[in-house]
Amino acid sequence: MTTAHEAPYAPEHSPRLDWAKHAPEVYKAMVRLDAAARRGLDPTLLELVKIRASQLNHCAFCLDMHTKDALAAGESVERIIQLGAWEESRHFYTEKELAAIELTEAVTVITDSFVPDEVYERAAEQFEEAELAQLIAAITVINAWNRFGVSTRMVPGHYKAGQHK
Amino acid sequence: MTVRTRLLDREVGRALSSVSAAAKRGLGDPALAELVVIRASQLNHCAFCLDMHLTAARELGVSERQLDMMAAWEEAEGVFDERERAALALTEAVTVLTEGFVPDQVYARAAAHFDEGQLAHLIGLITAINNWNRVMVSRRIEPGGYPS
Repeated sequence: MTTAHEAPYAPEHSPRLDWAKHAPEVYKAMVRLDAAARRGLDPTLLELVKIRASQLNHCAFCLDMHTKDALAAGESVERIIQLGAWEESRHFYTEKELAAIELTEAVTVITDSFVPDEVYERAAEQFEEAELAQLIAAITVINAWNRFGVSTRMVPGHYKAGQHK
Repeated sequence: MTVRTRLLDREVGRALSSVSAAAKRGLGDPALAELVVIRASQLNHCAFCLDMHLTAARELGVSERQLDMMAAWEEAEGVFDERERAALALTEAVTVLTEGFVPDQVYARAAAHFDEGQLAHLIGLITAINNWNRVMVSRRIEPGGYPS
């Protein structure tokens, strides 16, 4: 009898397209955008934002990268795992982190609705105006990486922490 | 409706523009680019972006018929050619990521009409307008500021 533990994993898929090679100017501009958007934001908070957006957008490569970067930077396994149910595990996070995570969800899922006033207002209570503008930019940028990752089916599992820092 | 904030870091704004410009240049089809950008802005409900790009599309000579039928392009027989339809299908899939992945048939349909370089830039363009949609909708920037 074969147990699930002994069964081999499914085969690894291949990426659809090496988009950065075919669109190097777009890639360079994205790297510049990423660097500009993270200025002034707390790196710990930023990784939580990146992981939550990548969960919502189902970006496997991005989850691989940002959970490894977060763990390497000292983030706890518990806080990463609980992100998927943060509304019920609020005591794992600061009020500022919670406001940022909630804004991340609203800005990520804009096809469903606008960004609700109460979500924006909670974020505006925790972040001063320039910092909030940076947070919106950072949420936008991880959404962009998620789009490249998912549409070209970038392969998770090979990222080493700090590789793209 | 009140604008929430007009703040956007200058370097962020410049880099957002660079992503858009590089993608548009690489795609090399300005009229198709406007169709893609308008459809994504409809899905993301970006009033500022729709106002800006409907104006730009008309200036480029995109037909009123196409602009009118855009939201129902799948059912609008004879209004969009197969290449435009492949690009619009990819635009929808890449824009609505939260509901699923980008389906193989949608990707394959796009790959049948665009070579790898064009496809990389098309994905770049869809991503670039999604960027603008997010920074405009989040800050609730009002439509009408775009000079016609």
